[in-house]
Amino acid sequence: MVRKIGFLVNPIAGMGGRVGLKGTDGRTHEAIARGAAPTSPARAGVALALLQGRGLHFLTCSGKMGEEVMVSSGISEYSVVYRFAGESSAADTIAACHAFVREGAEVVLFCGGDGTARDVVSAIENRVPVLGIPGGVKMFSGVFATTPAAASSVLLSHDLLQRDAEVLDVDEDAYRRGEWKTRLYAIATTLSSPGLVPAGKRVFVDVDEARARASIARFLTAVMREDTTYILGPGSTTAAIAEEMGLKKTLLGFDAVKGGVFIGNDLNEGGLLEILSGEEKVRLVISPLGSLGAVFGRGTQQVSPAVLKKIGVSRVILVATPHKLAETPVLFVDTGDPALDAQFGEYVTVISGDAIAQRARILRPIIPI
Amino acid sequence: MQTKNILDEDQLPKSWYNIIPDFPTPLDPPLHPKTGKPVVPEDLTPIFPMDLIGQEVSTQHQIPIPDEVRDLLTLWRPTPLYRAHRLEKYLKTPAKIYYKWEGVSPAGSHKPNTAIPQAYYNMKAGITRLATETGAGQWGSALAFATCLFKMKCTVYMVKSSYAQKPYRKSMMQAWGAECFPSPTPQTRSGQAVLARDPGTTGSLGIAISEAVEDAATHSDTNYALGSVLNHVCLHQTVIGQEAKAQLESLDLYPDVVIGCVGGGSNFAGISFPFAGEKMKGRHMDTDILAVEPTACPTLTKGIYTYDYGDVAGLTPLLKMFTLGHDFTPPSIHAGGLRYHGDSPLVSRLVHDGVARAVAYYQTEVFRAMETFSRTEGFLVAPETGHAVKAAIDVAEECRKTGEAKTILFNCSGHGDFDMSAYDAYYDGKLVDYEYPTELIRDSLTRIPKTS
Repeated sequence: MVRKIGFLVNPIAGMGGRVGLKGTDGRTHEAIARGAAPTSPARAGVALALLQGRGLHFLTCSGKMGEEVMVSSGISEYSVVYRFAGESSAADTIAACHAFVREGAEVVLFCGGDGTARDVVSAIENRVPVLGIPGGVKMFSGVFATTPAAASSVLLSHDLLQRDAEVLDVDEDAYRRGEWKTRLYAIATTLSSPGLVPAGKRVFVDVDEARARASIARFLTAVMREDTTYILGPGSTTAAIAEEMGLKKTLLGFDAVKGGVFIGNDLNEGGLLEILSGEEKVRLVISPLGSLGAVFGRGTQQVSPAVLKKIGVSRVILVATPHKLAETPVLFVDTGDPALDAQFGEYVTVISGDAIAQRARILRPIIPI
Repeated sequence: MQTKNILDEDQLPKSWYNIIPDFPTPLDPPLHPKTGKPVVPEDLTPIFPMDLIGQEVSTQHQIPIPDEVRDLLTLWRPTPLYRAHRLEKYLKTPAKIYYKWEGVSPAGSHKPNTAIPQAYYNMKAGITRLATETGAGQWGSALAFATCLFKMKCTVYMVKSSYAQKPYRKSMMQAWGAECFPSPTPQTRSGQAVLARDPGTTGSLGIAISEAVEDAATHSDTNYALGSVLNHVCLHQTVIGQEAKAQLESLDLYPDVVIGCVGGGSNFAGISFPFAGEKMKGRHMDTDILAVEPTACPTLTKGIYTYDYGDVAGLTPLLKMFTLGHDFTPPSIHAGGLRYHGDSPLVSRLVHDGVARAVAYYQTEVFRAMETFSRTEGFLVAPETGHAVKAAIDVAEECRKTGEAKTILFNCSGHGDFDMSAYDAYYDGKLVDYEYPTELIRDSLTRIPKTS
């Protein structure tokens, strides 16, 4: 169990949602003008009230960014290690996180959405785990607990595990062009607790996720063919496959490997199409991302419908640890081309160990975001 | 409306049904793991008594059951044959569904049918301790019970994941005086090797077999007992099919479909061999003999028919069978007894020759069938048995569509009283549907089972 927790709340997170904005970042005044009221402090309060009287010490920020929620939740064991002036901003979130780490926080608990997650993770740089209390408009990232109360349960657990989670947010470049796409920004360390599932009901083989990743990597490298080009998607599971081959892949990018050597790194759509025009046999190895378990369409903008058509849906190899599949048992596909999405069928096979796969159901968007 | 068909104790078969002479050509012999030459009886004497070695290779059609063994079998045999009236009504099927209920044995499954003769022949040969492996714990508890009857000691290597999942199986073995260890253990060289390679392993039947064989081979007072796979084990189980055949005959019936779940193959052998024998003799050629396995460990449906070791360490003879490779560790499904990389050579040969066919099911659909069964017939069956239940329901539903009034017989091999955590997982929506990635393995051309 952790003892010293860095805590911050993004006081404006979540405001845009109810008034029809896709996020509140940089649009606070517009949200307020449309009649939005702060919601994230109340969500944070639900989580904190459950942590009160548990012998925890909090490092937090002044005013709305932390101290006010501490007081209203009845928590007295806290120190304010960061003070902000005026309206809080992303820069304040980042500065506060640096202060938490400096003061010895074992975990950073934050309340906000994907925008806040990005800021927190960029400052923390995996020095300590982060855990999100869901309080934003967009929460595609895998660092969020399912509910504020679930975040508290994880922190109070005696059976804590660290796991990797993807941080996804709106693709700002695409957004400026008028398109709404999500992009993978980082892989962060977060906390989970298998103990929240009673022992007899635990269904996955490995308690240790790194061990599961190694099993997947061992199997994939054993079945890889010399004459085939493998495009490895983002994430730590595909990184483990590259590592098993003695290669270090870009964590967030798409890299192509053939005959044990890279033939392309951090490929964008154009780079992928170029490889596909030159190579006859190509397979795409990809892992679901974020809280939705998104296979395509959230954080994989490089794989356009044109790229996926060229590879062929049947040539996609899905990989995921049992831990990840336990958290997102239903996966999500939204390539932007409904006919292509339909080719995945109702179920997909996901490699989850050494010669072991799981069958996972696929969902498609009802209303495209 | 009669539900149960019960035989008198004197109708318990007087001999075991040996299927070996029914095959049109001889079986491929087991090969010595070191020399690659056919195994001779002397190769097996360090771990098996001569009587069982004789049964392993016998070409005699009927092998008499010793009186002492028959007396002990009457503790629960003959077992009842049930007509599943309530299930049929629920399914609205014209099919007649019969199940042979083996859950009435003291250990709760069909396993004591072979545990008792194996303990008996070892006792006669002067052996004082038996070492064995167990997956879900059914076999371990059956052998603990049998050795207890003959005042022998018993050491059980239980697959670690099952040891944690089913602690009461261990308690049961203890109640019958056996010792039970979670495998791999640091006590054997095979166990040490696995632990050094993979300290966090959840174990497998293949690893536990290596440990038990090593224990027997390195202690002169100790022999090895196997709960499935081998010919003599399948032989002992044929009391099931012989009784069922007589019970159906008393109703003027012969089954159109015979179903059993398959891990190593012994309960399937037990229910099906007397009927498969008829088929190979050219009688009742239309009988559909159905072997049911999990998609997580689909040996008969996705494996390769070749020589492979029976265990992980490669201590056993090479057996000609369907296999996923002896280095394959199946995922921890709740039907722990079906987690075996290979299959009985006799069952494999039947499937290879087309006398029997195999199907595989996902865990969740199996539990759905178990729920249907428990809510109509009452019995909470073991997850292994659930595979046979699922296949029987599928055939009966097909009959509803075609209007055929087939007679379906399945082996209801054991109760699930120690599997309640698995039922909980099902009701909590926590069951994982495992698959075997056949396409990748076949496409790679490299990862075929490692055989010599």
